[in-house]
Amino acid sequence: MPLSRIELLQGTLDMIVLQSLRWGPNHGYGLVQLIRTNSRGVLQVDTGSLYPALHRLEREQSIAASWELSENRQRVRVYRLTPAGRKRLAAERSRWEQLSEAIAGIFTPPTQEET
Amino acid sequence: MSPWRSHTRRSEELDEEIRSHLEMAIRDRIARGESPEEAERAVRREFGNVTTVREVTGDMWSGQSAERIVQDLRWAIRSVIRAPGFAIVAILTLALGIGANTAIFSVLNGVLLEPLPFPNSHQLVFITSQFTKLGLDHFPVDAAEFLEFRERNKSFQHVGAYFVGAVNIGGDGEPPARVTSAIASASIFPTLGVTPRLGRTFTDEETLPNAAPVAILSSEIWESAFGRRPDIVGRQIDIEGQKVTVVGVMPPGFDIHDQKVKIWLPLTLDPAQRDQYRGGHFLLMVARLAPNVTLARARNELQTMLAQWPALDGADTTAAPGTPAKVHTPTTTTHRLRYDDLQADMVGSIGTALVVLQAAVALVLLIACANMANLLLMRAETRHKELAVRAALGAGRGRLMRQFMAESLVLSFAGAIAGLALAYWGVHALVAANAGSIPRAASVALDGRVLLFTLALAIVTGGLFGFAPLLHLSSASIGLTLRDAGSRTTAGASRNRVRRGLVVAETAFAVMLVVGAGLLLRSFWNLMRVDAGFDRTTLATFNVVLPSATYKDSTRRVMFFDNLTSQLAAVPGVQATAAMSGLPPLRQINANDTNIEGYVPSPNAPLQNIDYYQYVTSNYVATMGIPVVAGRSFGPGDDAQSPPVVMINQTMAKLFYGNTNPIGRRVQPGGSKVWFTIVGVLKDVKQGGVDSKTGTELYLHFAQAPATQGFGLRNMHVVIRSKLPPATLAATVHRLVASLDPTLPIVSFRTMDEVFSDAVSRPRFLAQLLGIFAIVALALAAIGTYGVLAYSVTVRRRELGIRMALGSSENGLLSLVLRQGMALAAIGVVVGLLGALVVTRLASSLLFGVKPTDPFTFAGVAGFMLLVALIACLVPARRATRVDPLVALRAE
Repeated sequence: MPLSRIELLQGTLDMIVLQSLRWGPNHGYGLVQLIRTNSRGVLQVDTGSLYPALHRLEREQSIAASWELSENRQRVRVYRLTPAGRKRLAAERSRWEQLSEAIAGIFTPPTQEET
Repeated sequence: MSPWRSHTRRSEELDEEIRSHLEMAIRDRIARGESPEEAERAVRREFGNVTTVREVTGDMWSGQSAERIVQDLRWAIRSVIRAPGFAIVAILTLALGIGANTAIFSVLNGVLLEPLPFPNSHQLVFITSQFTKLGLDHFPVDAAEFLEFRERNKSFQHVGAYFVGAVNIGGDGEPPARVTSAIASASIFPTLGVTPRLGRTFTDEETLPNAAPVAILSSEIWESAFGRRPDIVGRQIDIEGQKVTVVGVMPPGFDIHDQKVKIWLPLTLDPAQRDQYRGGHFLLMVARLAPNVTLARARNELQTMLAQWPALDGADTTAAPGTPAKVHTPTTTTHRLRYDDLQADMVGSIGTALVVLQAAVALVLLIACANMANLLLMRAETRHKELAVRAALGAGRGRLMRQFMAESLVLSFAGAIAGLALAYWGVHALVAANAGSIPRAASVALDGRVLLFTLALAIVTGGLFGFAPLLHLSSASIGLTLRDAGSRTTAGASRNRVRRGLVVAETAFAVMLVVGAGLLLRSFWNLMRVDAGFDRTTLATFNVVLPSATYKDSTRRVMFFDNLTSQLAAVPGVQATAAMSGLPPLRQINANDTNIEGYVPSPNAPLQNIDYYQYVTSNYVATMGIPVVAGRSFGPGDDAQSPPVVMINQTMAKLFYGNTNPIGRRVQPGGSKVWFTIVGVLKDVKQGGVDSKTGTELYLHFAQAPATQGFGLRNMHVVIRSKLPPATLAATVHRLVASLDPTLPIVSFRTMDEVFSDAVSRPRFLAQLLGIFAIVALALAAIGTYGVLAYSVTVRRRELGIRMALGSSENGLLSLVLRQGMALAAIGVVVGLLGALVVTRLASSLLFGVKPTDPFTFAGVAGFMLLVALIACLVPARRATRVDPLVALRAE
């Protein structure tokens, strides 16, 4: 199965979106590009998942949206993190780290001393 | 901002957002050197289905219920419109089911639920007498009882009494008309609590003997006969040839006990004459309970009153049981009074009939629901892929469920609206066709309560069949579909079970309905075949009533009818003609005390009381074609001067004379001083209704009536035996009567077949309606069975193709499919027959001459249903045999 088809757990996509917006305000298309680049092409976010996630986060006030003009003088809807979003990102990130440490622990062979 | 506007704005913004996304992506690809067309195609592919993305994203905002409901409804309406064929079938099916329910409910509502149009109508009680030994119930009271009851009771604030008849009235230069009249006590108006729109009601003085004659008009007659003239109060009008002063006009629709009374006249009673009134039962009482007195408490008081009554009026309470008390008064035993809620009494037995009809249409609607559920289930199957995609894109299962519900509700509401139109038309047709057999027909209308009922029906039915496609929403089935890309090779076993269950259920419902209709049809058939005792073919009848003012003495009356019958008999084409006082097969009972010479009453013997007195002219028996069982009938030799004679019917002969010969024995009609000799015994003629036991009947000679203190001698029914067309005959009758006395109106010229038909109008109406509902149910169930089987053949095309390729014969396949369908039908029939066994018991009071468990009806219906199911299965089964194995295997 190609890695790009990895289905993201819903909470994970939210975290990725929030994290990507830490680099600065961005529009939907920009986020798709950014996530692909930053994950070295592994994570291909489906628009059918991204836009629902963006609008859900906006409704939950973790991000805010406004219409701006792009460099091509095109009206685009730009999302930015809100203070609440930052707090949420921090919480999700620490949860993610706990989870990945735990999973890493499962994959790391136990040392003699510890048993 | 309203949710609707914010929704519109957000959805426009979302469009723009997606558009900008696509444009940016295309621009980037073009910058990387792709051609514009290539770029656009690639971007579209990459982006996926724009509509779905929009919809799913938009959903994120629709937490607010109003907005979400609007969205779901729009989706539902779009999806219904996209399949017009399906929508039309669905809406028509539902319109039929909901329309029939609405129509019957509006009758039930108007008749049973709508209160009577009187203030605090629940306080109104209908009071009648009961003679347990004579088998008389709901019998009128006598005037002494009315006066005494009014005086002695403590439970009622007002007690009124009335009896209904008909009078001839002259309008303003109009031809004379015969209208329904009520002779009523002055107290009837305060009892009912209605004040007149013009003038006043009767004073107590106006009900005393020798008071100047007065009348109160109904609004209807004030309009039709007196042109709504405002100065009507105080004017004199012509009633039965007498000048009567109008004192008031009642408001529109004012009536008593559904009698359609057009004119009210005072009931003249002389309290001093009280004892003279005993035994003459002709008054009906209506009373209004005092505030805070319940009907149960009033009934308790009645027991005490009845116990004291005979002693208060000087009856000999020590007389041995079985011998009549000296004074005729109510008692706790043989001569009781009964209280009934006025509305319940008016509605009477039609209540059962309406409940049965409502149950029948409810079954039709359930069958329609089962069909709808099947339709939606199949439709959902064909939309499997769409559902799977929507679910994968994140439309929650709850959302999909809501959308399906919205779709079925859109259908059921459309069905309900069409059903209302159908019901509006249906109710009018129903009431018009059965004016006489539905009490309170005037109060039947599509009112607020009916609309509420229809709304509830729409919601309940929509909810019921809306559940079916939800069976698709189990996550397992959605996952499966995605993988096999929407092919229909494997329909879930649970869905198949549901579909089959629906077919079984609707077959069972249809069986129950058809059994019910079958039983009622048999009842009606039995009623029509009842031997009424005379030959009713080529027989016509009409009613003439002589006004008492112009026909004061009985010789003038006898002369009039002699002239009329002899002139009619002389008309070419008329074979015979005669007059009688009571028209069979349905007339008022007389229950007259009659002395029977030589009869020795024993404690358990019948009282000397005869159900029907029939005053007839000489030629009566020959004209009616009633067989003479013994002795002779009246002849030309019997007249006012000849020795007084009577004929009796077989029932009377058997009851009072047993095996002895009654010819030559004598009877003395109630109140008469003269003894009459029995000269003949006639075959029984139905008088109390076709479906009732024949009562005892005494035939008296019209010319000898004065000697009996005659009953109803001004009011006679003339019968004519003739092969002339009824219309020709009617014209001749009108001309002849007018030439004898131009002031006489003729009432209801009918053929005797029409008279019979009117007498059985309610059972006919029931049988017809139930028959129609049964046919609809049958058709729906057959369509349902056909649909499910046809679908299953389509789905199993591959399997059938393989069977064929492996050498199954056409007959083998045919029987395979037939067996599948017929098994369902057989289960449905068995379940339905068991259900019918339970249900038809409830309708047993509506049946005549057939048991609710009649084996012939049950067997017949079972056979018939299986036949219909066989036809419904045959078409898809034959299609199965024409499956081309190659095509079937290659398909999909």
